[in-house]
Amino acid sequence: MPALTRMASLARSLMRKGGLDRDLDEELRSYVDLRAQELMASGIAPDQARRQAKVELGGIEQVKERVRDRRRGAGIDTLLQDVRHGLRVLGKNPAFSLVAILSLGIGISATTTVFSAVHSALLRPIAFSEPDRLVAAQKTYDGVPSGPVSRLDYFDYRDQSRSFEHLAAAVGGSAQLTVRDGPEPWVADVGMVSWNLFRALKVTPVAGRDFLPADEAQGGAAVALVSYGVWQDRFGASPTAVGRTVNLAGHPVTIIGVMPSGFHFLDNADLWTLVDRTGPVDATRDSHSHIVVGRLRPGVSVQQAQGDVDRVSRALATQYPATNKAKGLRLIGLQAFMVQNIGTILVLLGVATASVLLIACANVAGLLLARGHRRMPEMAMRSALGASRPRLFRQLLTESVLLALAGGLLGVGGARLVQAGLQRMLPWAELGVAAPAVEGPVLLFALAMSLAAGVAIGLVPAVRGTEARPSAALGSGRQAPDGPRGSRLRSGLVIAQVAGSSVLLTLAVLLMRSVVGLTAVDLGFEPDQVFTARVLFSGPEYDAPERRRALFESVLEDVKALPGVTSASMISKLPILNPGQDWGIWPAGRPPAASGDAYHALARWVTPGYFKTVGIPILEGRDISETDLPGAPQAIVISKAVAETLFPGRSPVGELVTVWSTEGSFQVVGVVGDARLSLLLGQRRPAMYMSSVQMGSPATRLAIRASGDPAQLAGAVRQIVRGKDSGLSLVDARTLAVIVGEALSPFRTVSVSLGAFAAVALLLAAIGLYGTLAYHVGQHRLEMGVRLAVGAAPPSLLCRVLGRGLALAAVGLILGIVIIVPGALLLRQLPVSLQFESPSVYLGAILALGLTTSVACLLPAWQAARIDPIEVLRRQ
Amino acid sequence: MGGQKSDLLHGTLDMLILKTLTLEPMHGLGVSRRIQQVTDGVFDVQPGSLFPALHRLEQDGWIRGTWGRSENGRRAKYYRLTAAGVRRLGEERQNWSQLALAIARLLEAT
Repeated sequence: MPALTRMASLARSLMRKGGLDRDLDEELRSYVDLRAQELMASGIAPDQARRQAKVELGGIEQVKERVRDRRRGAGIDTLLQDVRHGLRVLGKNPAFSLVAILSLGIGISATTTVFSAVHSALLRPIAFSEPDRLVAAQKTYDGVPSGPVSRLDYFDYRDQSRSFEHLAAAVGGSAQLTVRDGPEPWVADVGMVSWNLFRALKVTPVAGRDFLPADEAQGGAAVALVSYGVWQDRFGASPTAVGRTVNLAGHPVTIIGVMPSGFHFLDNADLWTLVDRTGPVDATRDSHSHIVVGRLRPGVSVQQAQGDVDRVSRALATQYPATNKAKGLRLIGLQAFMVQNIGTILVLLGVATASVLLIACANVAGLLLARGHRRMPEMAMRSALGASRPRLFRQLLTESVLLALAGGLLGVGGARLVQAGLQRMLPWAELGVAAPAVEGPVLLFALAMSLAAGVAIGLVPAVRGTEARPSAALGSGRQAPDGPRGSRLRSGLVIAQVAGSSVLLTLAVLLMRSVVGLTAVDLGFEPDQVFTARVLFSGPEYDAPERRRALFESVLEDVKALPGVTSASMISKLPILNPGQDWGIWPAGRPPAASGDAYHALARWVTPGYFKTVGIPILEGRDISETDLPGAPQAIVISKAVAETLFPGRSPVGELVTVWSTEGSFQVVGVVGDARLSLLLGQRRPAMYMSSVQMGSPATRLAIRASGDPAQLAGAVRQIVRGKDSGLSLVDARTLAVIVGEALSPFRTVSVSLGAFAAVALLLAAIGLYGTLAYHVGQHRLEMGVRLAVGAAPPSLLCRVLGRGLALAAVGLILGIVIIVPGALLLRQLPVSLQFESPSVYLGAILALGLTTSVACLLPAWQAARIDPIEVLRRQ
Repeated sequence: MGGQKSDLLHGTLDMLILKTLTLEPMHGLGVSRRIQQVTDGVFDVQPGSLFPALHRLEQDGWIRGTWGRSENGRRAKYYRLTAAGVRRLGEERQNWSQLALAIARLLEAT
């Protein structure tokens, strides 16, 4: 039979199902008639004959069912029938369906959202050609990775290693420099790179040319590549932009090429210049600012390259023992390097969401089990009417898959909503990975999760639900209590739920506590009421420190005169925003054996009044003052941690210290509190503050404390800066509180979402516990009624039910605590510090869990105690 | 329901029905009776097997059912062989002969 005819027949049979059924009905009735006639002809009485004919047919419904099964398209037909019936059953129990769909929807939404993030960050390869051959290099001290690489070391590694096609470098973090090209100057984010960075990444300019080795040999910085965006916005996409010379921070720079649209690497730079071989960045081997990226030669493994690099490290250690004795270089895959910070967060969220989904599944499975027991008479009836066990099984499974698919639909919708939040939560662009989106593979994932969840929640209830014997189930009017297997199953599910939610709860509380701990009280400074901005200057006329000083001083004077300003000062690096670099510091005359052994503190240059402005307390001595001028003894203010380490048990004020890479010694004039200068470097950091004027180094960050709303100062301050000198401009005007808030937001988002997951999990577990107990009470009404009738006190029944519920919760809680240990290990890798040791966290989690579960237990226990024995016994 | 015997018939019931219908159009009971008679009661096709097979054959286009009257005036659905059904029977018959021959050879092999 041709395929077309088959299709037509299939379509006909599906569409004409009703007609065919009626036809079949009639045919079978005619069969009975004919057979009865046959029997009557052999002399049997009409009544008898009809009955015998019917018995011989063996049940019209069964025969019909078999005919339907053998029809072409029976599979689709059955499926449609199951779906229809399933929808009807679910529609009849809207409360049950809603709870189930909502539970699964929340679970699937959470997993889908997190999967989309994992997908874009970890699974999708980075957007460079042959990413497997790209590695990143981190400096190590005694084998422990510790961040960027020194420029001088980088050049040695590049010259002496043999494993790389290109070993390239970029200075970590871009600089904001003023570009003059026409009437209006603008500020560009400038990245400094080695000549071969773009070649290592295999990205070529779309116009002009790439850097050449000769450019770097000439000292660098005289040529630049611009981003596609800047080429369009600032140069009108003009082909003549290539070859044009612009003024970059006072120096002429020739634009030699335009990078492709959308290209960025580590930072969003507008303009790239060459690493300056003689410049101030990493002038010594003890300063580390370069991120090193290499493309391995074909066929060279990371291990082989590591061996090659180790050989160079040993040579450098011999050549420069003072700085390189313990130093090394570790290679890791570039993709791993780029996502290392969010990797842990994603794994954590992945575990959390998977637990939420599992808890949701356990919950719905528990509900289905209980409902399955109530539906036993229905199943028995259907089986008596000719439905086979596989058919019933399929029916029940279809119902649970329908539930899960509805949950999945809800989940995908929810995931799309959450997506917007996720975009802000993690710094995708900086990581060089595409922002996640709910599409393609992510949708497939959601579908797979829904189907898996549907089967997972439906399998056991379907097996148990179809075990019914028609005779047993139909025979007894009342339901027999569920066997021990069923109640054990449900207890297990409840224990798993409580365990899962207690893990989530504890982790969430831990994380939230540390994030809350990062706010004002613990910062060591007071970000509220502080306005900050950067003063930019461009042109060689500002190179003279005296000129700069005079300008900045007059700006500060005018700013202080503004209404509502209580104090103002300038600093080189703001807390949180620019952690800056660690410099060695030691008491004068007692230098450390090797520079690597020195005590390190973050170095800053400030003008007088800085501590008062940002709210760092002066504990001893005095602030940097107006009298700390060039020629006077060099003054330094150290933080408490520095004072306690270098001068234990005595006052450091008046002592002399030596600071690495500076000349002469410094007199400690004051001690200030430790402050959190960086979120990513753990606790409060030791710091040293030197006079910007004495050091001759610019402190370009304005910090202004206002009595009113600090954000309103922006306009006035900008006017002052512009009015002072046309070469000055104000950028990045924000309040300190905003800066702190932005830095904290990823952690806050993660902990809030973890908290939300935990709350949902706890709620689900409570519902599960409540459901199980309520069901238990319902099942044992008779037994409890009898107990009451023979004299048991209602409180004793209440205690029994309560005890049963709390015992389940306790087992789950203990299991949860056992699971927390590996989870806590995972959290240790997060950049925020967590107090695992604090018992109050666990106590809090246990308390929350105990309270919630008690409430969930109390209701069914109360019901048990209120059973009216007379009514129960009468009903039986 | 079809007992043990009709289970044995599983693949061959279609062929037996097609063959039976080559004589004349028949209703379900007639087909069942005819097979019973011709095989001396070896094959007793019960309604539980017969009707599914009839409907499947009709769906495949090998037989066609029309409502008519039985000899004593009862309404009944009569099945007759279509042209496709005749061809189909030919194929089945040939397959069966080959199968029977193969089994016979196997049993007689020394």
